[in-house]
Amino acid sequence: MNKNARWAFWIAGILLFAFFPKAAGIYYSNIVISTAVWALFAVSLNLLLGFTGLLSFGHAIYFGTGAYGTALALTHVDGLSFFSAIAAGSLCSMLLSLVLAPVVVRVSGTAFAMIHLAFAQCMFVLALKFRNITGGEDGVSGFSIPEIRIPGSRLLELTDPALFFYVSISTIVLTLLFLWFVIQTPFGQIMVGTRDNPKRVEYLGFHVSHTKAVVYVLAAGSAGVAGAVSAMHQGLVAVNDAYGMMISVLPIMIVMVGGARSFFGPIYGAVFFAFLEEYVTAYTDKFELILGIVLIVFIMYWPLGLAGIFLKLKFKWLTRRRLFRPSGQRKTDEYS
Amino acid sequence: MDPTTAMYVSQGVHGIAYGMVLFLLASGLTLILGMMGILNLAHTGFFMLAAYFGYQMVQWTGSYWAALAAAPVIAAGFGVLMERFLLKKVHAYGPMAELILTMGVSLVILDGVKVVWGSQSLPLAPPESLQGLIHVLGMPYPVYRLFIIGLSLLVLVIMAWLLYRTRLGMIVRAAVSDAQMVDALGINVPVVFMLVFGIGTWMAGVAGVAIAPILTVSPGLANQMGMDAFIVIIVGGFGSIGGAFLVSLICGLLSSYRIQFLPQYSAVLIFIFMAVVLAVKPEGLFGEKHHE
Amino acid sequence: MNILETRNLNHDFDGHTVLSQVNLGVRHGEIHAIIGPNGAGKTTLFNVISGAYPPSGGKVLFKNKEITGFPAYKIQRLGMGRSFQMTATFDQLSAFQNIRMAILARRGIRFNLFRRVDKMNDITAETVDILQKLDLWEACHTPAAMFSYGRQRSLEIGMALATDPDLIMLDEPAAGMSADETHMAVALIQKLTKGKTVVIIEHDMDVVFSLADRITVLNHGTILATENPETIRANAAVRAAYLGRVEDE
Repeated sequence: MNKNARWAFWIAGILLFAFFPKAAGIYYSNIVISTAVWALFAVSLNLLLGFTGLLSFGHAIYFGTGAYGTALALTHVDGLSFFSAIAAGSLCSMLLSLVLAPVVVRVSGTAFAMIHLAFAQCMFVLALKFRNITGGEDGVSGFSIPEIRIPGSRLLELTDPALFFYVSISTIVLTLLFLWFVIQTPFGQIMVGTRDNPKRVEYLGFHVSHTKAVVYVLAAGSAGVAGAVSAMHQGLVAVNDAYGMMISVLPIMIVMVGGARSFFGPIYGAVFFAFLEEYVTAYTDKFELILGIVLIVFIMYWPLGLAGIFLKLKFKWLTRRRLFRPSGQRKTDEYS
Repeated sequence: MDPTTAMYVSQGVHGIAYGMVLFLLASGLTLILGMMGILNLAHTGFFMLAAYFGYQMVQWTGSYWAALAAAPVIAAGFGVLMERFLLKKVHAYGPMAELILTMGVSLVILDGVKVVWGSQSLPLAPPESLQGLIHVLGMPYPVYRLFIIGLSLLVLVIMAWLLYRTRLGMIVRAAVSDAQMVDALGINVPVVFMLVFGIGTWMAGVAGVAIAPILTVSPGLANQMGMDAFIVIIVGGFGSIGGAFLVSLICGLLSSYRIQFLPQYSAVLIFIFMAVVLAVKPEGLFGEKHHE
Repeated sequence: MNILETRNLNHDFDGHTVLSQVNLGVRHGEIHAIIGPNGAGKTTLFNVISGAYPPSGGKVLFKNKEITGFPAYKIQRLGMGRSFQMTATFDQLSAFQNIRMAILARRGIRFNLFRRVDKMNDITAETVDILQKLDLWEACHTPAAMFSYGRQRSLEIGMALATDPDLIMLDEPAAGMSADETHMAVALIQKLTKGKTVVIIEHDMDVVFSLADRITVLNHGTILATENPETIRANAAVRAAYLGRVEDE
């Protein structure tokens, strides 16, 4: 895209962002926030799955811990600011991942997937047992959404939906930006190397377990941010929404449908699922059935997901207009 | 016998019956995993599907025996269809893709049964001949539970004979250990895969029809025994039938007795134990390393 | 003088002895070939030396320091490089990315999360340099899996060499190559390993005799002889064990 087109794109995007909450109303603003939360959650899973080759069937552990961490922090600590609340949730997730990392980095493949299934079930049961902390099935609620104090000027009350919209989306976008940057670094290359050939990575002199551990903590922390925002958005954190089986299954589906090999894939997937949910649930409550069918169809016919489809279309469009140069260097965030 | 011992023995029988059904369910899963390297997440779905088919057959024909004969076969048929048309195509994309595909099929089955049969629990009554109690050594036992144990043992014996006394069985065992080598020897491995998939799913189907009268047919049936099945194959070892048998029995007895003996955190402990086993020996406690 | 040494190295698998009392000495700066019939234990020897698993007995010394039982990444960081018989490149990544990974390894850039790797111009320059030497510069942005077998092997060797190790272990670099490809591979190895020490396992005798300064013959896990090529050719025992058939070809 040429420079002018790029500028136009960005300006349009910012304008859309600025006017959206007032123009589209609360209902759709909430959908966008939910979608953004799931997009971040799915991208965090994809750090493990698409970029390092590790599938987890229990990524809900970090989402739920982020949600509970934030909710409990807001309940027990007065005057906590928005960013501190997010940090609290994310930190809880990262701490948990540091505890599990030594065990988890020693396995891959099916064992890695199953061990996380076990941990997720574990957390589910523990959350139910420790009712006094987690509120059991009823969950933690009634905590206030914090405010943001801009130094020297006004107080932003985040109970205003529009303000909450701007701040929460910004937080999520910033986190995504950070992760996108990490993919572009030398460390990002080692990540994908580990996915393709861990033995070779080891023989080049890299310590595979350490690499996996760092990716693991990053994935946990960003899932924690997603959980934290979700907690504040919903105003309630209950066991099923934190550690339930679907919370682990959905991001996997989003990643596969969106495209595991691309950074933006899971974001496309989240948007796709948002539409799906809106339109399918109007006709039937058999949502999981539809999800299953969609997943099967995508894996069989479009294994590279929506991102793969978009890439093919872009390729076709560019060659038709003779804009494609055969030896073009692939960008490091796609297809690596 | 005094009442306490009687209670323990009776619970023991229940435990063994549950354990044997669990073994039927888990052995198919572990065979498929050991041979094809695929953890079939839809396996418990087929188990449940057979229970539903069994219910339906009883509704149509009134005969439990017809259900027991036909339902597992139909469920196995669906399993083979999945393997032929879905899994095979996805095989080239790697084991993670296969795993996620089976997850998709699992979702379809779990929700799909609700579409056809609704969400409530459906009863499946054992035949007249198997109802009631029988007295052995002065102790009453439910006939049906004894029947389950007998049926499972029968299937086990047939399987063992097939695996260890026939040429086909030898091929299957070899394929479980090293599929690539077997292929190199000129044996039609895809057909062997299909066979094992079919038989493994059939056994799960038998388990489904067998346990249905006790647990009732409901959409939650798959997950009820599903977790236990995973524990069995992980602790028992991927591909190890003997390990699966041992652990299934232990699981069955434990679940029967745990209300008295084990503390509240038994569920958590089991999961942690499973996680530890996976970390230390990723191929399961009694499993062999999969030859690449 | 010996950059690599093994002392009384033993290894068995499940009670099966694969290596027995192996005393190998590789001199600094030489090209040392290891030959022997199939099953002689050559790859096992490589594996034990390069850290795939510790030996059942004996010692391995690298640059006069004991490295027995060290994990692979540690040994590689000490200056040993290795290529594999079964091509082990990052096949979904481009040749460029493959070589760049080796350069990053060489420079010890492991946990850098702070700079975009595409913008690291010095890294790019080094990568391009090596790609040109490997004759892989054109189409270097295609995924490795799409290269011809010979070029994949070149990439494989290139990666081992790009980490600039002091000792390079090449496991059957010419495996599966046509005659032309083999010639190219030999020229490449000679060009890129000037001044370095090379240990090479090979079955292709042309390659062995054109490259090696000294040859070690391994049979049934023990060393039959370690001599210069002419002496090996003339050694009756070696001939009987291995080279006998080659004369008739």
